[in-house]
Amino acid sequence: MGSGRWSADVYETAERLRGGASAFTYSDSGARTVHPDLDPYDIIRESRDSAEHPDSLAIAVLFDVTGSMGAVPRQLQTKLPKLLGLIKDGGYAEHPQIMFGAIGDATCDRAPLQIGQFESDNRMDTDLERILLEGGGGGQKTESYELAMYFMARHTATDCWERRHKRGYLFVVGDEMPYPGVKPREVSAWIGDELPHPLPLANLIAQLTRHWDTYYILPAGAAYAGDGQVLAAWRRLLGQNVLELTDLDAVCETIALTIGLGEEAIDLAAGLGDLTDVGSAAGPAVKRALAALGHGRPRRALPPGSVLL
Amino acid sequence: MNGHVIVVDLGYGDAGKGGIVAALCSHAALNSQNVSTVVRFNGGAQAAHHVLSPSGQPHAFAQFGSGTFTEGTRTFLSRYMLVNPLALVAEAEHLARLGVHDPLSLIAIDRDAALTTPYHQAANRARERARGAGRHGSCGMGIGETARYALEHPEDAPRAGDMTSPRTLDRKLTLLRDRLTAELAGTPSPPPGDIAAVYHAIAARVTLTGDGYLNRLLRDGPVVFEGAQGVLLDEWRGFHPYTTWSTTTFENAETLLAESAHPGAALRLGVTRTYQTRHGPGPFPTEDPSLSIAEPHNTDGPWQGPFRLGHLDAVTLGYAIEVAGGVDAIALTHLDTARRHPELKLCHAYDIPGQPAKQPAEGVDRIHPGPPRNLGYQKDLTATLTAARPRCRQVAPEDWPNVVTEITRAPVTISSRGPATADKELMTPAAAPR
Repeated sequence: MGSGRWSADVYETAERLRGGASAFTYSDSGARTVHPDLDPYDIIRESRDSAEHPDSLAIAVLFDVTGSMGAVPRQLQTKLPKLLGLIKDGGYAEHPQIMFGAIGDATCDRAPLQIGQFESDNRMDTDLERILLEGGGGGQKTESYELAMYFMARHTATDCWERRHKRGYLFVVGDEMPYPGVKPREVSAWIGDELPHPLPLANLIAQLTRHWDTYYILPAGAAYAGDGQVLAAWRRLLGQNVLELTDLDAVCETIALTIGLGEEAIDLAAGLGDLTDVGSAAGPAVKRALAALGHGRPRRALPPGSVLL
Repeated sequence: MNGHVIVVDLGYGDAGKGGIVAALCSHAALNSQNVSTVVRFNGGAQAAHHVLSPSGQPHAFAQFGSGTFTEGTRTFLSRYMLVNPLALVAEAEHLARLGVHDPLSLIAIDRDAALTTPYHQAANRARERARGAGRHGSCGMGIGETARYALEHPEDAPRAGDMTSPRTLDRKLTLLRDRLTAELAGTPSPPPGDIAAVYHAIAARVTLTGDGYLNRLLRDGPVVFEGAQGVLLDEWRGFHPYTTWSTTTFENAETLLAESAHPGAALRLGVTRTYQTRHGPGPFPTEDPSLSIAEPHNTDGPWQGPFRLGHLDAVTLGYAIEVAGGVDAIALTHLDTARRHPELKLCHAYDIPGQPAKQPAEGVDRIHPGPPRNLGYQKDLTATLTAARPRCRQVAPEDWPNVVTEITRAPVTISSRGPATADKELMTPAAAPR
């Protein structure tokens, strides 16, 4: 009961939202839930051409933010802002559009998936700051990578694919394995799709890699760094696109050079030369990580008119 | 706490649910069993559950869960809740002033929850005004209008999920305004676009959730379900037409639990004062205008009518428990008032003029629950109870817990002797599963 003492006046509320902002801002210390701008529910993320960026290339970096990653997510939060500059300055891609996101564990976290926007300038750094570093997750060597990959496969739309049949780049940074399939219950709860049956991981990967050149990066400093079981699981799914990173400082360089190689903008030697030129100490770590990718790789694009999903 | 707890008021509201929910959350935190979330499962922004902040300042919890002062306690407004986004912001601002960090970030709302808008509120007030002396004791917040509109136009009713889409919201709000304006001449109101814009800004500050959310909450740890109003105001079981538009029994909370893959054990905790109160008109057999008990927070409202006092009514208490499907434990509040007011009595039966009791010596001591969803029966009860004259007996102040256990056949596991959390005594286990 009561008399409704809290004002429900629309203009007073607008004033409150403006004036009392300090009391409401999303903050590192207080937030324990997905920032609304990163909520993957019932959305499509688009990477589109514009007059300014006529030849956009979609690039997504999703990293595991669960407890096993230790301090890695926080370091990534500080390092990833330089990715855009590296790609552009290195000439690896002319019009990159970058999106950041985070992966938790849908079986026990409150924020199993956080997805930012594709941006051609530094606006995606705001998304990066808003990513909630949850530190949850279970100790079973599996996180909800499949939920993130499901989102990328079915809830993204890119002009690089739709207009040019050129795949975007997806980097998954983490130290654990995906669950064996996409669970309808989780997709319904977090993304809003109704799946009649669980989607096996192999089918999902097939759909995902049709649009996204997908890489998995296992960074040093995470609980399962160097774990053979984890690496083997990802190699079964992604083949040679599994990178082991010994120096976290080199994460942006590794991603940038991978794109440069994929775009045939450079070969590995030239890329490493670039790094030396700009005074980066990341060379050796990047070289080790990218050894498997070798030289420039053939572009893979499906013929126009192929059925989307 | 070992499991979830559902807190329900066994009277006409105002029994002290807020203080009990706050005590449960605080007690759990002290025992490292943190209540992750308080779930609201009925009513709307008209609730006023008074709780003292850690520094002793009062807050009337309306949509935020009453456990908010215990750090780490979030609030989930389930689909049964009628959400008023504007009032939520005003409440958040007050909580922020009392030291709660970023209150809006603590709120999660089911996308299906219907929204109470300024149009519902205006229509509510226009209708109550037209009723004049025959008013039903509405809070003037538009709760009834919201529930009614959502029932009549389920597809068009604005819902929490629409807050992220100003276009959908604008369309639904315009439709709502036009329908209500047609029905009630001259409903004053801000333009739909203005409301939609503010709702959109609010949506960015709270979490909107889908079906799986509660499921995860229930697995993560104990959850407290905070009921609003009281069983005797229940839309179907209250004394028609002096009722509310919501289900005030355990039913909604139990439905939410049953839908979950992790229901766990939930304790059904009934709350009652050592005496009876009622806000606004309607049957109140034990009302005693000679009682003079200070009521710091519940004042006469312009829309609700006066705040009324009376003796504890064992007959309606027994009825409330029966229609609610039983209780596992009782939280007994205002034991301090009972100590200060030895004139408080217990009504154990009624005399009903024209309806002689089967055993005249004992009077009428039970209200028979009617068939489900039969408002005709409930209306007859209203007539009967309005005519009923209470038979009362004295109760020694220290006897109240025993007396209440006798009536309710459930243990008193929480005793409250004042407004602060420190005034609440929790018998362990406070939440022994059934």
